[in-house]
Amino acid sequence: MGPSPSLGSDSDLVNPFQRQHVEVLAQVVTERAVELVVSALDVNAVLDQVDINRVLDQIDLDRLLGRMDLDEMVQRIDVDALVEQTDLGAVIAASSSGAASDLLDVVRSQTVGLDEFIARWIGRLRRRPYTGPPGPPNRVRAEAAS
Amino acid sequence: MTARVDGTTPSAPPAVAGERLRGKYAGFASRFTAFAVDVVVSLGVFMLALAAISFAARVLTGKDISWHNGDIWVVIAYAVWAFIYFAYSWAADGRTAGMALVGVRVVRDDGTDASARQAIVRTLAFPLSFLFLGLGLAGILLGDRRRALHDVIAGTAVVYSWDTRAARLRFLSGDGLSSGPRHPGDTTVCAARTRAARTVWPG
Repeated sequence: MGPSPSLGSDSDLVNPFQRQHVEVLAQVVTERAVELVVSALDVNAVLDQVDINRVLDQIDLDRLLGRMDLDEMVQRIDVDALVEQTDLGAVIAASSSGAASDLLDVVRSQTVGLDEFIARWIGRLRRRPYTGPPGPPNRVRAEAAS
Repeated sequence: MTARVDGTTPSAPPAVAGERLRGKYAGFASRFTAFAVDVVVSLGVFMLALAAISFAARVLTGKDISWHNGDIWVVIAYAVWAFIYFAYSWAADGRTAGMALVGVRVVRDDGTDASARQAIVRTLAFPLSFLFLGLGLAGILLGDRRRALHDVIAGTAVVYSWDTRAARLRFLSGDGLSSGPRHPGDTTVCAARTRAARTVWPG
């Protein structure tokens, strides 16, 4: 008789094909176990027992914020990408047009106020009561009335 | 009338409160402001054109061209340019740049759009109103229809063309207070807006 084959390490006992089967089996068993535990757990009941307000009261926000490195967070923000995604032109145009419209309204209203001031004084000098700007022209008035 | 939140009596509204200004005859201040803006715009464009001509001449011929205010050709060129500026503006849209800024426009004396012929006549008659210490402009202050001499000659009038009510609504909606609070439930702010709007935009 020849010499019997010597026994080496565990890896020698199972070939790669068998090892793969074992890993798959272990994964299936683990998933099934987790599934059983989760299905047996009543999450709503657990949540009912948790006093969220009490938990929040115990959180020290100042301490939490103190531990956060805001500078580092800000540095991580990709400002260039943010700017690229923002339509700055539209924002600037909207604010500019709004400001221009405001300015135009103010200029016009001021000149109308000055018109009224002058007309009122002219009315006093002529001893005629001023009742507002005259007009509109007859034809416009007739069209508005019809 | 909106009640004041601070309990004080509101000041009397202007005589034109509650009325629309659009279509009514424009007053002296509006017309003078529009004219002043037009003078600045037309002079600015004219001087830019002179500078451009000087630059082009220097580049092409290597010679400098100097312009003098008293030069008769400069005066004639400006007169021609001013005629084109005013006549074209009034014929095309009834208003110049200054009139558009102030919110007034030239119309026929019955309120309809002025024709090209009226625009040209009005432009030619315009200098006449400045003769005799501006006597031709007295009609804007004293006349019932606020017409100057050149308006009478051309058969035109100048009316307000902007909607004061729309401006007031813009202001009340929040667009007019760029830096102010915008919370719709803030009654103090709303009342203040209403008061300010009544003061600023009477129409």
